[in-house]
Amino acid sequence: MALLQVKNLTKRFGGLTAVKQVSFDIQPGEIVGLIGPNGAGKTTLFNLISGILNPEDGEIILDGRPIKQLSPARRSLAGLGRTFQIVRPFTMTVLENVMVPLLARDPHMGKAREEGMQVLTLLRLDHLADAQPDSLTLAYRKRIEVARALATRPKLLMLDEVLAGLNPTEISENLPIIRQVHERGVTIFIIEHLMDALMAVSQRVLVMDQGVLIANGSPQEVTSNECVIKAYLGEETPTC
Amino acid sequence: MSANRWQLLGFILLAAVVAAPVLVDSKFILHMVTLIFFYVAMTSAWNIPVFGGKMSLGHAAFFGIGGYTGAILYVKFGVSPWIGLVAGVAMSLLGGVIMTLPLLRLRGPFFTLASIAFAEVLRMIAIDWRSLTNGSVGLNIPFKPGWANLTFQSGLPFYFISLILAAAVVFVSYRLRHSALGFHLRASASNDEAAQALGVDTRRAHFIGLLWSSGLTGLIGVFYVFFIYVVEPNTMFSIPLFSLQPALNGIIGGIGTIWGPVIGAVIMTPLGEYLRFYLGTIQQGLNFVVYGVVLIVTVNFIPGGIVSLLARLKPSKGSNGPGSPSGAKEVR
Repeated sequence: MALLQVKNLTKRFGGLTAVKQVSFDIQPGEIVGLIGPNGAGKTTLFNLISGILNPEDGEIILDGRPIKQLSPARRSLAGLGRTFQIVRPFTMTVLENVMVPLLARDPHMGKAREEGMQVLTLLRLDHLADAQPDSLTLAYRKRIEVARALATRPKLLMLDEVLAGLNPTEISENLPIIRQVHERGVTIFIIEHLMDALMAVSQRVLVMDQGVLIANGSPQEVTSNECVIKAYLGEETPTC
Repeated sequence: MSANRWQLLGFILLAAVVAAPVLVDSKFILHMVTLIFFYVAMTSAWNIPVFGGKMSLGHAAFFGIGGYTGAILYVKFGVSPWIGLVAGVAMSLLGGVIMTLPLLRLRGPFFTLASIAFAEVLRMIAIDWRSLTNGSVGLNIPFKPGWANLTFQSGLPFYFISLILAAAVVFVSYRLRHSALGFHLRASASNDEAAQALGVDTRRAHFIGLLWSSGLTGLIGVFYVFFIYVVEPNTMFSIPLFSLQPALNGIIGGIGTIWGPVIGAVIMTPLGEYLRFYLGTIQQGLNFVVYGVVLIVTVNFIPGGIVSLLARLKPSKGSNGPGSPSGAKEVR
């Protein structure tokens, strides 16, 4: 059974349909990429799934359970983790940041501190446990964002451009961490602008353009898909 | 441990305040220090929801509900003040629920403004419900000294009661800030949407924080009534005295921190009394002008309050102490 089922999801902002009748499944254990030109509706789709926005129409099913009516917090507790494209660290230490989701599940401080350190160690952030996120580089803050989402013990982790804005060295440091998280059994749904990076980690890629899902397949299939090429390179009279 | 130096400074200051009435035999000083402790307790209680960025100006309501409950039970029904304390807390918790549920939808300044209305409505009720409250004349606590009646010949018992009250509220506030609730409030103040996405029910956290705050404020209100022997609507539900003053103390000391409210209350209470005595006689309201200037200067030049200045003095990096300057940043 699919871990995430999205059926006919639609979101309108006034006259603009940001997400239009989008349907897809994600199987447990997959890494699925989501690409598309700017304004294609990728982040809106993430916001709909994580509950920050409410869809006009459609259904979202996580692990067999409809979650459309649940608050963002409830969806997180149900196993849906996400990061934000624009990082949002709390003004507290790195360790305390990671403890927030842990404490939402078990109010025991000692346990949260211990498990928080484990998550930081996994993401190689343990040496920064007592630092303030504001004082760190974007690469580290993005990694804190991932650490925090991971501390929710998600079944499905949705990563929104965790590599964007990083330099090549930082990317080569952060990329293996995504694989490492996946190896621990977390299913990953990832938005990324950097094609090379995305193609390298994803087993399957979804492509959106103007709110519509235009392709769904392996990286090779998707990159040779005519519609995708047109969406990226443009065409005078679109036929897709 | 961080912030050792300023904590030491704080302790010395506190020790001086504690020892003052023993060293100096003055009724005026005893009364003043007792008042300081009351304001330390009140400001610290007010400060609990501020961990989550919720600044209330409705706390006079909880203070008044507590005070009136204790006084009415004692004066009208002969119920022991000690039972009145429990009842006062229960009633102010009820007040907390009534105020908080509709207001939680409001953010930032809107929450603050709406909370003022709540206190003002209760003041009107206390004036108009004459059969119960004796209207704007209020109720006097009969002078029958003894621990059973929470009424005393000397000022010393209330000095120690207020000291214990202040210490207890600061302790509760410290424990809350370092609990799951404190983390959730701080996370919500930093970024509410991100906190929710991590599974934090932020509205529930704000609600519980406000209940702690309202219950403690009600408790202080009951003690206060027996300290001043009278309840009267314009005092007990006074927005300047019990809504604005705690907020002012908190902002000047450093909101959202543990020691900021303590420092703010210790400095502002005597200053406020002094200004009221000396400037108030020159021109009524002149003391508020000075208050206003102090507030504007603080908010503009030291938005983290006095605590943030003290934190800057300490040599260690990493500002994770209870008086972290980020505390103030969180609640902007």
